[in-house]
Amino acid sequence: MKSFTSDPASEPSSVLYSRCTVDLRSGKIHREDVPCRNLEDVLGGFGRSFQILAERNINHAYCEENPLIVNTGLLTGSSAMTGLRTYFSGYSPLKESKKSLPAAMWSTGSGNFGAKLKWTGLDELIFENRSTTPVYAVIRETAEGPLVELKPADHLLGLSTHEKIMALHKEYGSAHFAAIGQAGEQWENVYMGAVALSTDNQLKSGEDKMRFAGRGGMGSLMGYKNLLALVAQSSDKIKPLTPEVKKVNINVVKGGGAGRLLPISRGGGGGTWAAYDVLQTFHAVPVNNFRPQGNNEPEKLFREHVEKQFVIKSEACYRCGITCHNNVHEKSEDGSVGRFLAKFDYEPLNLLGTNIGLHDAAQAASLIHTCDNYGMDSISLGVTVSYLLAYNERHPERPLLNGAVFGEYAKIKELITQAGLGNLPEIGRGSKRLSESTGETSYAYHVKGLEIAAYQPETNPGYAWAIAGGHMSMGTYGLLTREGKSDMESWVQGITRDKLQIVGFDMIGLCKFFDITKGICTQMVVDCLKSEFGLDITIENLAASVRRAFLRGLALELRQGYEKAEYTLPAEVWERPNPNIKLPNITHPEFIAELQKRVWEIFEPELDGLLPQE
Amino acid sequence: MNVTIKLVGIFKIDRFKDAVREYPSGICVREVVDELRIPTHLLGTVLINEIHAGVEDVLVDGDTVCLLPFIDGG
Ligand code: SF4
Repeated sequence: MKSFTSDPASEPSSVLYSRCTVDLRSGKIHREDVPCRNLEDVLGGFGRSFQILAERNINHAYCEENPLIVNTGLLTGSSAMTGLRTYFSGYSPLKESKKSLPAAMWSTGSGNFGAKLKWTGLDELIFENRSTTPVYAVIRETAEGPLVELKPADHLLGLSTHEKIMALHKEYGSAHFAAIGQAGEQWENVYMGAVALSTDNQLKSGEDKMRFAGRGGMGSLMGYKNLLALVAQSSDKIKPLTPEVKKVNINVVKGGGAGRLLPISRGGGGGTWAAYDVLQTFHAVPVNNFRPQGNNEPEKLFREHVEKQFVIKSEACYRCGITCHNNVHEKSEDGSVGRFLAKFDYEPLNLLGTNIGLHDAAQAASLIHTCDNYGMDSISLGVTVSYLLAYNERHPERPLLNGAVFGEYAKIKELITQAGLGNLPEIGRGSKRLSESTGETSYAYHVKGLEIAAYQPETNPGYAWAIAGGHMSMGTYGLLTREGKSDMESWVQGITRDKLQIVGFDMIGLCKFFDITKGICTQMVVDCLKSEFGLDITIENLAASVRRAFLRGLALELRQGYEKAEYTLPAEVWERPNPNIKLPNITHPEFIAELQKRVWEIFEPELDGLLPQE
Repeated sequence: MNVTIKLVGIFKIDRFKDAVREYPSGICVREVVDELRIPTHLLGTVLINEIHAGVEDVLVDGDTVCLLPFIDGG
């Protein structure tokens, strides 16, 4: 990024970002400095990639014209804490409208690949067309600037995410990696392929402690393009910490922002796993395909119980003081740390544990591990499997696939393994398609074709307006449970004003844990931008830019055929209201209808002019 | 007056899961939180008799207060 202004909100074209376009068919590679069109381009991430996607008319995700855009945010690779994000964008093989048009999608993860990519001197890579043979891309810092090369990847074919990363690590020192697993290679039958991002911890220990850009099947799109991995090789270019950024970082760790994510031993809340205990208070932990039963079963996966049997190591991405990873290891007889089993974040733990009827930590760990190594999105996988189990429970006389039902670990593991190998398109293509094939769509827990996160839809009608997956692109998931808001005004305000701001993190290069309640429109971010780049961007300009980017995402959904009626929740929520959930009912049809009316009244007039003219 | 206190998640560590405790009348939730030395930045939700409430709410004899940690998505 080169900046010739200190006021990019007024003079965006005075900021140039470095883009490399790689034609995978011809092998031609073209690098250029591109002037920014607006503040969204300057901030980066999906704010920029969605403008590129909006310029294309794509009717099928697996077509040569659908690009895979890999980019970073302005603060990726900076000294601001959590500045490690990489974004993968394209039209999704998984998320589609009822008209079967693919939705624009992004997915993001941490690890150290994003920072390394930024340090090579590139801000964005666009992969066009597809290669006829398997390749990987190497992005290298050279004296003449960033250099991108394509290399044959036959030796990587068939390897898991972790195996690919470790094989490349042997070849490339001082590099970090993004890789798909077998699932992404089997893109025809797996639409939920994830991209694994290497961590320092993984490369040093040899343990498969990766982070993932999982949502929306960007790993499958990579597989379709025959692009198996990316290597970003550069020296580390961390600027010395300025007093301003140091103050922000201390505030992130010690202040309200991310303090709650810190390990319990450091006075924090112990990461996202804590959601189990909180949601169980309301009997709102998803159980057996999102049907909480009002019993104590979810407590078996509470941290306090798992800790008795396993060692839980609190670990972090490179230089991040938040330390949000809960890595579960076997406990040796003397209590010391044994073999690494899996990461226990709330989402995968619930969706590959309690929500499929498994309450045993070792079994859940094994499934998470399998999912991660084949390279699938744990949310989409878990929810599609839970749909299948629910179907089989309802139809014992004519079950699907191997007939697995809730709690049958061995059979579920077989399903996940076979899905990862591309042998079960019924699962690999997600819950929307599976439920449409059975004709029983009401209990398929997806919204707009993308599986919901591990928050009961009864607690979050905001899911309907999330533009890139349940909880990470619409921050309303705690509005009822945490904030106790059950009135219409709070929900309209939440969806249309405050909670959509969560997507700002997916532009600027920071983790949401930087300050999840306040978003990026804060003095902390303003101070970082000033100190790192000399840019004067006001809180108001940031907020306006994030809002435009969100609304552009919404406009793009509508352009891809989504109808207003699709902005809703799975029908089971009101067809069979769950009496066990101890919270006010805000998802009855009248509430949803009124919410839809009020939300669109606000959003709709703002959508004009956000997309290029046809 | 007697108030039942229920603690959730990490708040139980070195404290208790639930207990009936005696407090002077007119006490508010914040004073209970302070007395239990619960770090306020970790406090996400207060329920009084299973209904969402605030830290300034005043308690009466026989109330049940549940204190829940903040949740941050996953
Ligand atoms: S908050 Fe967590 S995921 Fe984000 S950079 Fe820090 S340790 Fe990594």
